[in-house]
Amino acid sequence: MYRLTRINLLILLLFSCLFIPNVNALVSPTSEFYVNDYANVLSSETEKYIIEKSKELYKVDGTQIVVVTVRNLENSSIEDFSLNLAREFGIGSKDKNNGLLILLALEERESRIEVGTGLEGILPDGKTGRFQDQYMIPYFKTNDFDTGIKNGYDALFNEIVKLNNLNLATANLRKKNQRDYTISLNMMLIIGFVGFVIGQVARFAKSIKDKLTASYLIIGLIILLVLYNSNKIYFFLFAIHMIGFLIGRFVTLKMMPYSVSGSGGGYSGGYSSSSHSSHSSHSSGGGGGFSGGGSSRKF
Amino acid sequence: MKKGTIIGIVIAAVVLILGITLVGGYNDLVEKSENVENKYSDISVQLERRADLIPNLISTVKGYMKHEEKVIESVTSARENLVNAKSLTDKAKANEELTVSLNNLIALVENYPDLKSNTNFINLSDELAGTENRIAASRKDYNNTVSEYNKAIKSFPKNILAGMFNFEKKEYFEAKESASEVPNVSFDED
Repeated sequence: MYRLTRINLLILLLFSCLFIPNVNALVSPTSEFYVNDYANVLSSETEKYIIEKSKELYKVDGTQIVVVTVRNLENSSIEDFSLNLAREFGIGSKDKNNGLLILLALEERESRIEVGTGLEGILPDGKTGRFQDQYMIPYFKTNDFDTGIKNGYDALFNEIVKLNNLNLATANLRKKNQRDYTISLNMMLIIGFVGFVIGQVARFAKSIKDKLTASYLIIGLIILLVLYNSNKIYFFLFAIHMIGFLIGRFVTLKMMPYSVSGSGGGYSGGYSSSSHSSHSSHSSGGGGGFSGGGSSRKF
Repeated sequence: MKKGTIIGIVIAAVVLILGITLVGGYNDLVEKSENVENKYSDISVQLERRADLIPNLISTVKGYMKHEEKVIESVTSARENLVNAKSLTDKAKANEELTVSLNNLIALVENYPDLKSNTNFINLSDELAGTENRIAASRKDYNNTVSEYNKAIKSFPKNILAGMFNFEKKEYFEAKESASEVPNVSFDED
C-alpha cells in the first residue's frame, strides 16, 4: 500500500512537470489587474476608484478597462507596446473582445488609448483622440497625471455605459461568468489520476483484466479520434486520462530509490486553453482581441 | 486472451493512431491556410478603410491648402493605385506609396495652423493614424501566420501531405522600407 502511494505521488509529479506555464509578458499584470501603476504617478484613491469601477463594469457585460503607466517604452513605439500589452494581458472578455487600455509612458511623454475590436464601433479612433485632447492631455501637460488619468477614465467609462446601454444596477445580479474553458492543473491531475487508478484496476483485477484493458483501449482510441476532430481541449484532457491509464496498466514502477515527499515544486500555475491568458492573473477576461485601433498623443 | 486477439488489437491501435496523425496533420494544414486567408482579409479590410478615408481628408484639406495642388494630387493618385491594386505585392507597394505621399501632406499641415486645429481634420487624422496602425498590426499578424504555414508545409511529415493536396507556399505582405519591423521573414528564402 505504501509503495502504491509513492508511485501515485511520482505520477502526480510527472504530470505537473509537463505543464510549466509560459510567462513572457513585457510587464505582467499586477494582482490588481485593472490598475498597473509602474511609473508610480497615481494616488491610491484614484487606483482604488478605478479598480472598483472596472470591476463593476466587468460584472455588467464583461467590458474591461485597464490603466497602465510605465516609466518608458523600452525603445519600442507606443503603438507596438500597447498592442502587445493589451494582447498579453488578455483585456476584455473572450467572446466580445471588449477591452480598453489606457497607457501612459512617462519618459516619452506619450499616451495611448488602445481599443479592443469589440469596442471599435462605439469608440472610433477619432473619438479616443478627442477624449485625450479634451480630458487628459491638458493635465498631462502640467504633470498632473493623476487627474488626467482619472478624468479620461471617467469619460471613457461613461461613454461605454451610455452607448452600450448598460445598466450598472444589474452588476450584482449577473450570473457568475459564463463557463470558460480554462483547464486547471488540478483538473488535469485528477483526470490523469483517475486514468491511472483504472489502469491499476485493469492490471490487478484477475478475472476481467484483459477484457477491461482491451475494451478500454479501443473505446478510448475511438473517443480520442472523435475528440481530435471536434474539441481540442477535451481531446487534450482525454489524452491525459488515457496516458494515466496506460501508465497504470503497463508501466512497472519498481525503481524508487528516492523519496518524493516534500519536493512538491512545479505547482505555480495552470495551463489555459487560451494563449492570451496563460499567466496567472485572476481578473483577465481572456480577451485580447486587439487589432491596433485607438489613438496616440504626445504631450 | 488469445495471441491473435492481442495482435488484432495492436494492429487496430496502430492503424487508428496512424489515421489520427494523418487526419490531424491535414486538418492542421487546412487550419493554418485558413488562418492566412483570414489575416489577409483583415489587411484588405483595413486597406479599403484607408482608401475610403482619403477623399474626406482631401476635401477637408483643400479648403485650407490652396497652393499645394501637387501634393494633394499625389495623394489622390496613390489612393487610386491602392484601390486598383490586385495582387498582394501590388497592394503592399501601393500602400507604401500612399504612406509616403500622406506624410508629405501632413508635413505641410504645419504651415496651416487653422487647418491643424480644425476638429474635422484632427478627427480624420486620428482615424487615418488608427487605420495605419491597424494595417501595421494586421500585416505583422498576417506575416506570422504565413511563416507558420510555410514552416508547416516544409516540415516532415506534413510536407508529404502538402505535396499530395497541393498546399503551396504563401507570400508575405511586405513593403521594402519597413521590412525591418517584421520579424520571422528573412529565413524563409533558403
